[in-house]
Amino acid sequence: MVQSKKIFCDITRCIACRTCEIACAVEHSITKDLFLGMLERPRPKKRAFVFFLERDVSRSTACQHCEEPPCMEACMSGCISKDEKTGKVDIDRSRCVGCWMCIMVCPFGIISRDITDKNKALKCDLCPDRESPACVDACPTKTLAYESRDEFLKRIKQAKKVYAHSHKK
Amino acid sequence: MPTHIKNNIYAIIGNSAAGLAAIESIRRVDQSSRIVNISNQPQRPYSRCLLSYYLAGQYDKDILWIRPEDYYKKYDTEVLLNTAVTGADIKNKTLEISGKKKISFDKLLIATGASAKFLNIKGADKKGVFVLRTLEDADGILRMLPNVKNACILGGGLIGLRAAYALKRRGVAVHVIVKSEHIFSQMLDAEAADIMRQHLEVNGIEISTGLEAAEISGKDSVDGVILDDGNRLDCQLIIIGKGVAANLGIVKGQVKADMGILADERLETDRKDIYAAGDAAQAYDVLEEKNNVNQIWPAAIRQGKIAGLNMAGEEIKYEGSYGTNSLDFFDLAVMSFGVVKPKGGGFEELIALDAKRRLYRKIVVKGERIVGGVLINDVERHGILLHLALQKIDISDIKDILADEYFDFGKVIPLIKRQTNLFIRPEYKDTCVTYSPLY
Ligand SMILES: Cc1cc2nc3c(=O)[nH]c(=O)nc-3n(C[C@H](O)[C@H](O)[C@H](O)COP(=O)(O)OP(=O)(O)OC[C@H]3O[C@@H](n4cnc5c(N)ncnc54)[C@H](O)[C@@H]3O)c2cc1C
Repeated sequence: MVQSKKIFCDITRCIACRTCEIACAVEHSITKDLFLGMLERPRPKKRAFVFFLERDVSRSTACQHCEEPPCMEACMSGCISKDEKTGKVDIDRSRCVGCWMCIMVCPFGIISRDITDKNKALKCDLCPDRESPACVDACPTKTLAYESRDEFLKRIKQAKKVYAHSHKK
Repeated sequence: MPTHIKNNIYAIIGNSAAGLAAIESIRRVDQSSRIVNISNQPQRPYSRCLLSYYLAGQYDKDILWIRPEDYYKKYDTEVLLNTAVTGADIKNKTLEISGKKKISFDKLLIATGASAKFLNIKGADKKGVFVLRTLEDADGILRMLPNVKNACILGGGLIGLRAAYALKRRGVAVHVIVKSEHIFSQMLDAEAADIMRQHLEVNGIEISTGLEAAEISGKDSVDGVILDDGNRLDCQLIIIGKGVAANLGIVKGQVKADMGILADERLETDRKDIYAAGDAAQAYDVLEEKNNVNQIWPAAIRQGKIAGLNMAGEEIKYEGSYGTNSLDFFDLAVMSFGVVKPKGGGFEELIALDAKRRLYRKIVVKGERIVGGVLINDVERHGILLHLALQKIDISDIKDILADEYFDFGKVIPLIKRQTNLFIRPEYKDTCVTYSPLY
């Protein structure tokens, strides 16, 4: 089985600039423009969040598109599905009634209530109009990557090696 | 993928949350056996949780159908709708269905759910007295509505207040009569209940606590309710929301049952090849730490799924159930899980209240582990806390910030590093691969 892609974050590179949050909101606006987007009503909303782990240590976090999504099991209108091929977990807004059962069981706390726009649950949709999610493309420090778990782990291992090497001398 | 062709007959009684989840999980691992789904409801699968939204007129009937029309074809399942199972012979593995026909099975799932409790007081048989459990109930209420100015809701739980909210949105004057001192006495602590009560009252729903209906008055149809303090309220419609009771009738005396059919770690009953899931079942509650019925949608789905896999020959252990719920009235959200009103010693309550902004957070801790919580308004963190509780994570390192306004998932990551084995989901590990704490 091909491993599905999702957004991975390299905590060592995150400087908490929140560019990901802004790029996310802009991508989900109507005008797709930062300044015009600010004037839109309902206001465009972010689905990625910069969380602090400790002082000066942060990461950008959005929906993890879980292998066994609790939100999907809890959804009482059956509006959450997981694509068998891509692994993406999606909310069908037309069927969401805003009961928040998904929020109730999300282990990461990254689903929001879109109360200014028809009371629907809101979360990362991996930017369906783009090849790679807006947050990943916008990240100035290359903290975020859209890849499979294996690719991510391999890349991180590699990076650690290079880093250790350059510090030995 | 099937390792070998199986040749079972799976009988599943009930086509709601638990029954459907079982069909879907069986088909994941067994594409060859027969599945027979029997339900006494005439409709294709619908979500009864959405009935109050339909009743409120917020959504059309279409919202109720939670599975596509070709569902049974897709899952290669024979379906008998509008067909009641009237008896079960567990020993000989046959079911008796309405019309006296018999169905044989190899494995049986009892996903018969629960029924709304009725109220046995004088006049309760009059026209205009309803419960809210089925689509027929909701449609019956809707048919009455043109002639209803005032409605009384008997019961201050989830269903009662959801019904009250729905009727209010329809322009009906609603009065809720609650026996307990507080509304949501099962789901919320007194503080949270008071905040919600005030919010509901401000929005025009009348609530009386500490009172009970003594008699329902009227000729053929309801024209009022007489309370146990002697007062009388005019109303043309009454909805009873006094909780639910598991549907155990067809297997009574044949499988072990308490408030629900007792299901073990594999969701099997005390009889081999007979499984139970959903509102009909009673399993181990990991937060209350005792056998318990948790008659909620997520538990029904999870139990149905695990039961189905075990019926199909997998060996999957159920993590256990827990109570949790989510409500939203007039844009104020409230959620809770596990132990919300601790009794006895050893509990610690972390509380943050900002009455003006209607923010309330309470987390119940026992032995450095979270066992329950209540959140009003900023509910986004609810799932984080719930999973910390379910996985029995030692939270002593972050206890001082758990109820903090700025608590978020980031604060959990150091715990994942330190208690790696307790965090089960692979996604937890994904979030901290590149994190190396300094200490
Ligand atoms: C108005 C309302 C709001 C709710 N809101 C929430 C909520 O917000 N959150 C939440 O978690 N839960 C909620 N619930 C509870 C939730 O609906 C139940 O927990 C869930 O439906 C349980 O699913 P189940 O499959 O176990 O049983 P049920 O949904 O009760 O279904 C039982 C099935 O068995 C069939 N059946 C029963 N007896 C027989 C028989 N003898 N022969 C043949 N068929 C039979 C029935 O026809 C039905 O198809 C709500 C319920 C209601 C009524």
